[in-house]
Amino acid sequence: MPLELLLIMVVGGVSLVALILHLTGRSAQTVLSAEDARVAWHRHFPDDEVRQVMVSEDRHAALVQTSVATGLLWSFGADTVARHLIDFDVMETKDGLRLEFHDFGTPGVSLTLAPPERARWQQLMTSP
Amino acid sequence: MSDPISYPDVTQYAVPFFIAAILAEFIWIAIKGRGGRYETRDALTSLIMGAGSVASGLILGFIAWGFFMLLWRVTPLDMGTSIWAILACFVLDDLRYYWVHRFGHRVRWVWASHVNHHSSQHYNLTTALRQTWTGTFTFMMVVRAPLVLMGFHPALVLFVGGINLVYQFWIHTEAIGKMPRWFEALMNTPSHHRAHHGRNPRYLDCNYAGVFIIWDKIFGTFVPEQENDRVDYGLVHNIGTFNPLRVAFHEWVGIFRDMAQPGLSLKQRLLYAVAPPGYSHDGSRDTSEEIKAKHLARNPQDRGTPGFETPADAS
Repeated sequence: MPLELLLIMVVGGVSLVALILHLTGRSAQTVLSAEDARVAWHRHFPDDEVRQVMVSEDRHAALVQTSVATGLLWSFGADTVARHLIDFDVMETKDGLRLEFHDFGTPGVSLTLAPPERARWQQLMTSP
Repeated sequence: MSDPISYPDVTQYAVPFFIAAILAEFIWIAIKGRGGRYETRDALTSLIMGAGSVASGLILGFIAWGFFMLLWRVTPLDMGTSIWAILACFVLDDLRYYWVHRFGHRVRWVWASHVNHHSSQHYNLTTALRQTWTGTFTFMMVVRAPLVLMGFHPALVLFVGGINLVYQFWIHTEAIGKMPRWFEALMNTPSHHRAHHGRNPRYLDCNYAGVFIIWDKIFGTFVPEQENDRVDYGLVHNIGTFNPLRVAFHEWVGIFRDMAQPGLSLKQRLLYAVAPPGYSHDGSRDTSEEIKAKHLARNPQDRGTPGFETPADAS
């Protein structure tokens, strides 16, 4: 098959699929309730005992107090990703907080948090 | 040794079919309201991974080809290109696929290449195309060497390998429940392969088959999909990126970071590269055996059920 034709088919096909998915609402981030977050945390870390869950006001992230450590669960497209907050950096941004995990496969996440919520979360994230 | 032999690159010719089938699956799911999920960035990442895999093959394919042609020059055997030779090569290559795939889950160096295929939390036809960019670096081409040495021309070996991959496209779907019993018994199916993509402890390290599920039954790695244990797709520790470069290389980076830790013995450094995924020198991570054992400690009623037949104790 000529390379030019293959390239046109691949670029055209990928663009078409992405456009259709976006236009039909498949780009929405999952929305979390406290119970959703608790279930999702157990899905990621079945050995953990979940002690407390605090969902962000925009409902795209949750701070989870567990038997191991404080953890963060966040919307990842239609699904979630979770990490214990053990080796990370946190910094304030215009809209909330940015966490860096020193992990090539999960480099970080930006959280949208209102100022009072931001201060509370940052305190909980960094307190021993 | 013989006239130049060439076969079509079936994976390239299948591209229009792949795109049409993805659109058909998406429309079917949208109409029926069941049979899978699609998410824009996840699907886009999978499709870019697929395109990158084809590009990687075009750029690095000469390495494996050169290796196979070297073997072809030294082998005194020639099985020819009859239909029987093609069929025999197809079946033997599927056995080759089974073992390469098994190594891909049990040897971290090979897993580093294969992990991206499992990195989506979705399971639809785009997941089938979430293929490796780094397969050449695993050196798994050596597992194909016996086929060439047996007298199958390298072009034929790559041709049947391409058919094998194209077959596996359609089994990456939740839109198909179960196939007829005879088909489920003999062939790899959506049901069998869903189990393979499961991150549930039950489904870890099972169903490595490409086309014929019989290899898993022969070598003891078959686990049927269970109605009471819905498959949860993705990795044990799911990654948090849609960036194709990070998807393609994250486990390689992980290997080199682990190997470079201070204070390790040479053996420990090597084990970080070749031991099963989840190995750690200090026991801070879990291998699939340890994950299964911990699951059984929490759920003793699962002991002896499919995927937990081998005695495993939490320790």
